[in-house]
Amino acid sequence: MNPILFWAREVLALLFFLFFLVFGLSGLLGLFRFPDPWSRLQASSVTSTTSVFSLLTALLLIAPSWAMASRILIIMAFFMISSPTGSHIIARFLWFSGLPHWMPEEKDKG
Amino acid sequence: MRARTLWNLIRWVLSGSVFFLVWLFFSSETSLFAHLLGLAGAMLISALTYRVFLADHEAGLRYFFPNPIWVVVLIVRLSWSFYLSSFRIVGTILGGPCRPRIVHFRTRLKSDLARFALANFITWTPGTITLDLDDDHLTVFWFYADTAHRRLAGEKIKEGLEGILGKVWV
Amino acid sequence: MTQFLLPLIPWILLAFIGITLLRLIIGPSLGDRLVALNVLSGLALGFLVVQGLLQGRELYLDVALVYDIFGFLGFLAFAFFLKNKSNGDNP
Repeated sequence: MNPILFWAREVLALLFFLFFLVFGLSGLLGLFRFPDPWSRLQASSVTSTTSVFSLLTALLLIAPSWAMASRILIIMAFFMISSPTGSHIIARFLWFSGLPHWMPEEKDKG
Repeated sequence: MRARTLWNLIRWVLSGSVFFLVWLFFSSETSLFAHLLGLAGAMLISALTYRVFLADHEAGLRYFFPNPIWVVVLIVRLSWSFYLSSFRIVGTILGGPCRPRIVHFRTRLKSDLARFALANFITWTPGTITLDLDDDHLTVFWFYADTAHRRLAGEKIKEGLEGILGKVWV
Repeated sequence: MTQFLLPLIPWILLAFIGITLLRLIIGPSLGDRLVALNVLSGLALGFLVVQGLLQGRELYLDVALVYDIFGFLGFLAFAFFLKNKSNGDNP
């Protein structure tokens, strides 16, 4: 393979692995720091969407064969539909259960 | 009647070629036999199922056949705002400010598929979650609400996404 | 360079899954547990894809694809059941 292309792939994949680590760790941190399910849902969407999507992008970049690359591409396309649907179902469940959401330092009338 | 037959033929060929493309992706073989087998299978399946995927009337084509150039623009725009709002959430986790609120606004999009895509992509970017989509009326849980005004909140959440989606699907 | 990094990824994902299980166990309300389950399903998808790439088998990626498609159907059933249950409790 062309060495320039090879190194471009490697460096981009490393960058996306770094994204995976950073977003995964900070989302898990937010899962424990935030006080109620509404805001925990936001923090968890960083882990379960951004971090996993970055991982899939990195794996797509270093995929060894076309068969694998196309399967990962289709998985990513379905992930773009299934992951928002999951968080939407949970948010709707919270909404219908009538749970009030966290309002930090209420200074002005909203 | 003639136009109707022609439209049915177009439907059959269009869905069949999409199936064949998926077959090429999944098998990723280069032999001629595999290509012929895939083509025959795709055409057979599309002859059985083309009514399901494409609308009865020709005018409905623009409602859910995406414009390929604007799909590329949409993907670039979407990944940019996706990573930007993810970094914003990370900033909030490390001690930044936030104002969670539930806001309501309307959308200008016409077709059902475009509205579904708008709701889906609003939920896809971290920081906003669609709670309800009723006709053209969206209810969104917004993590950084700096306004309760309807139209302003809508413009801030959609910021350009609606325009691009309108070009992709009408 | 990524060849050396790739075998580490499943262990990182397992550590993430362990931390999320902690939230699933201590989560005070039902909503917290659902949120943790959502994170678990995303991480499990990543784990399946990484394993498929490491072993070099496309079959595992098909498993991951089916898991991805049917993952949220489980959620839907779960949330529906819980909603009906809470409605039945206090009508």
